[in-house]
Amino acid sequence: MAIAPLEFDNFCLRRGDMRITNISFSLQERETFAILGRTGAGKTLLLESAAGFYPPESGRVLLYGTPVRDIPLTERRIGFVYQDYALFPHMTVEDNIAYGLRVRRASHAEQEEKVRTIAELLGISHVRKNYPQTLSGGERQRVALARALVLRPRLLLLDEPFSSLDPATRKTLYGKVRRIPHTFNCAVLFVTHDFREAQSLASRIGVMAHGKMLCIRPADELFLRSDDPELNTFLGLEDHA
Amino acid sequence: MKQKISLFDGASLLIAFLTVLFLTASIGTIVIGGMPFLPAAFRSEEVLFSIRLSLVTSTLSTLLCFAVGIPCAYALARCRMPLRNLCRLVLELPLSLPYLVLGLCLLMMFSSDAGRFLKEFGIRVIFEPAGIVMAQWIVNIPFVIRLMRTALEELDERLEFIAGTLGASRWQRFLTITLPLCRNSILMAAILTWSRAIGEFGATLMLVGVTRMKTETLPASIYLNISTGDNGMAMASAILLLAISGTALLLSALLQRRAASRMEGISWR
Repeated sequence: MAIAPLEFDNFCLRRGDMRITNISFSLQERETFAILGRTGAGKTLLLESAAGFYPPESGRVLLYGTPVRDIPLTERRIGFVYQDYALFPHMTVEDNIAYGLRVRRASHAEQEEKVRTIAELLGISHVRKNYPQTLSGGERQRVALARALVLRPRLLLLDEPFSSLDPATRKTLYGKVRRIPHTFNCAVLFVTHDFREAQSLASRIGVMAHGKMLCIRPADELFLRSDDPELNTFLGLEDHA
Repeated sequence: MKQKISLFDGASLLIAFLTVLFLTASIGTIVIGGMPFLPAAFRSEEVLFSIRLSLVTSTLSTLLCFAVGIPCAYALARCRMPLRNLCRLVLELPLSLPYLVLGLCLLMMFSSDAGRFLKEFGIRVIFEPAGIVMAQWIVNIPFVIRLMRTALEELDERLEFIAGTLGASRWQRFLTITLPLCRNSILMAAILTWSRAIGEFGATLMLVGVTRMKTETLPASIYLNISTGDNGMAMASAILLLAISGTALLLSALLQRRAASRMEGISWR
């Protein structure tokens, strides 16, 4: 049996008022998995935990079978894209994208080639010399994706990546994100509060509320009624009879 | 249309105006009184020596403050450390201590057996120019730590984390992300620290005394000239100090404005 790119095993965490309890699920190779939930459900905390940002209170987070925090940060091969993209403001777009290659001492030619390729793929070649402050939301999002993907991560973590984009840009980027797992041979875990976005991008969806995973379902079965009234309410399946 | 000023606003404006008037009058007295003596001050071997000594010691102490202050601030802002609050209190305590007390602490420490031991290895502090650097350092180090800690705490930690996921080591993250993003804060802090160092007197007086043409910094020169009744030369030296401090304040304000415009549109969170 193949080792899962990411596995949460009875994971619990408390940060301030937020508490995540007993999260267990795993991602398959080249799978896109969405965590769906309202603001304050603990989605971003869970995503950051997948990257090893926080030590678990109990349980484990495994990256290809190894506890994530046992792997040095520099060797986890994780791509992380934050909701506000967290681009390096003092670097141009191409310096942002090439950053990982540069610190890994890739040759200048390799940096140039890889940055050019990924910039073309994501349609940001025209802003290569610009600084992040001058870009639109959609461009920033693609730069952040390019920066994460240029190193060919094994796992891509996306925190509400489309929340600040207009519907047209969103639609364009859905196509690009949908192709990522197969183009870059990586699993994708993303969090969102948008039902349609989760269904349109992910093969499976985990619904989170108050730090708990209410259910994990295939995307096309998201709206099946369950015995859990909290889940039904969240999905808008209340019985009005 | 005439706008009515409320009593509260009126009172605030009056107090602010009177304070500006008082400060202008105080500074103006020295400037007007000292101006005729400036040419003589520039020809005086003693004043030139004090300017040189002040410039050298304040530059050295500022560099030393940053060499120590940045790692301390980083440890307080970013690292998990035992007794963090106590360490923070100790590191920033000198901020609230009178400079004379800080000078006394140094004097007692360097007169102790440990101080004598250091002296045997050529580290002479008491009554020596090196003591001026030491005094300026102890006065300014908590200030630098506070400023740098605030700058680091305001910096989005996620940027360093992202850099780490991209393969950057702690050193690389510090040199390529943290330091460049704190550049303006560092520059502003350096200017303010340097101008504070050049005007430092209390701790210096306690540790090295005031010896003409040996430990005579600009503030010490003012003190010596006043003590010997040469008010004109004292005021001329004061004008030089005022000019240096004013330039530093202006530079710092300019940098602050530049930093604000550069970072416009960037939200850390």
